[in-house]
Amino acid sequence: MFDNYLVRKDSLENVYKDGKAVGFKFGVRIADYRGCFLSLHNGYYVECDGVEYPKEVQKFEINGNEPRDFEEIKKCVWEHWDYDDEGYVYIQKEGGLAPGEHVIKLQQSILAQYGYMPWDEEWLKNPPTPGKGAGSGKTANICSFNLELQEGGK
Amino acid sequence: MSIKRGVSLYSYQQTQFFKQMNWKDMIREVHDNLKTDGIEIIDEAIIKNYPFPSEQFIFDWNNEMARYNMKATTMDIYLDVHQFRDHIMTHREAAERLKNDIKLAAKLGFKNVRPLCLVPIDVIEMALETAEKYDIRIGKEIHAPLPIKKGTKVQPTKGMAAALDFRMADQIIELANRTGSKHLGLVPDFGIFQHSPSKIAIDYAKRQAKNPEVIDFILENRKSYDLDEMSDVLDKKYAHHGIDLSTIERMSLHESSAKPEDIIDIIPYIVSIHGKFYNMTEIEGKPDCYEDAAIDYETPIKYLKEHGFNGYINSEYEGQRDQQDRGVEFLPDEREQVRRHHEMLSRLIGE
Repeated sequence: MFDNYLVRKDSLENVYKDGKAVGFKFGVRIADYRGCFLSLHNGYYVECDGVEYPKEVQKFEINGNEPRDFEEIKKCVWEHWDYDDEGYVYIQKEGGLAPGEHVIKLQQSILAQYGYMPWDEEWLKNPPTPGKGAGSGKTANICSFNLELQEGGK
Repeated sequence: MSIKRGVSLYSYQQTQFFKQMNWKDMIREVHDNLKTDGIEIIDEAIIKNYPFPSEQFIFDWNNEMARYNMKATTMDIYLDVHQFRDHIMTHREAAERLKNDIKLAAKLGFKNVRPLCLVPIDVIEMALETAEKYDIRIGKEIHAPLPIKKGTKVQPTKGMAAALDFRMADQIIELANRTGSKHLGLVPDFGIFQHSPSKIAIDYAKRQAKNPEVIDFILENRKSYDLDEMSDVLDKKYAHHGIDLSTIERMSLHESSAKPEDIIDIIPYIVSIHGKFYNMTEIEGKPDCYEDAAIDYETPIKYLKEHGFNGYINSEYEGQRDQQDRGVEFLPDEREQVRRHHEMLSRLIGE
């Protein structure tokens, strides 16, 4: 669900540190009809212009906090990502993105479910790798977005 | 007293997503345009800062409901067993979550909570005392592919159907009888009377499939194979077809998971009903009369009427998610869909 609308079209920006581009970010919504406990958020499959960026180089910004990596997010067991709220995905990439259009492919992974399932122990030990479909909630496809890099972020 | 109409605000999820209506606008829509008073919510979609909303939110909610004289019927609640991430939530912890949701529902003026069909029966039992204390009825959902009565139905070994217990409704009735509790019951979802895939779901599946022919094959042969067999046949006939199991499950549907007449015996236990639907279209030759061509509403409502059910059927529109993979011009109008659903409900109820 919300296949075409998970990423906000005018939200792609480079991220700067000390005047140098260190990555890029874009705004996302939850791929579900309800929010979730933040701890359940297990990262993204992100591909930009054919290059895959694994969970280890991703951070997530929500609820007015600084961007947090997914090891920290995992510990936010009582914090909630409300359905109405947009979050930002940060991707570490030296030099950021070049001006112009970029193709982002995305699948969100959230370990939300409707009760006990046969794979629970496995997910506890080895959370699914985003992009394989497991934990993709109500949007099982990898969705594609053509985004124009916006000015800002400096 | 007759059957009452209501709306689960779930029905307006897309409008909420695009910030075209907030929960107050939804309440007004139900009051002003549907001329009814039943409101159901998804806790994690409507309650700001769930599960610990502010006193201000709670007051604002109750105030708005009072303003329009609305009835808070059922709050839909969840069970995310991975919440703590360092261990799987135990049944006792799950019961604590359920108790907290019951207290929250009471604060917001709801009469019932709806736990999901996968919530273990002992979790429900552990929370029953809290439900009694706060005068909240626990209504466990009978959701497709569950039947109402298991009978001779053979349970598939794959997909969602494999994880469910087909005796669920019996377990609840047994527990209600054993404890004598009036605070335990069932929330049947009209999806259990869906007999064929909805056209919008078929169209979506075809747009997403690498090879749409595979979808046609499933549709043409859905009566010849059960779910387990279909999956194997597809793997043999179309290697690397890439169709996920839940799509195969949806496209293979060829009979309703519950028998309409089975609803008669559970009427005393029905807390409220989910009026699930996907696509309301005009009935041929009957201007301004609508139906969902994939779901039998007529037969179950006939039985509910004949046997004196006087609770709420709350609209639960779910067709939007199959139409969000293209431009805004293809997005359905949720308000119009729910209005059509209420035309049908009013007509079948006989208001």
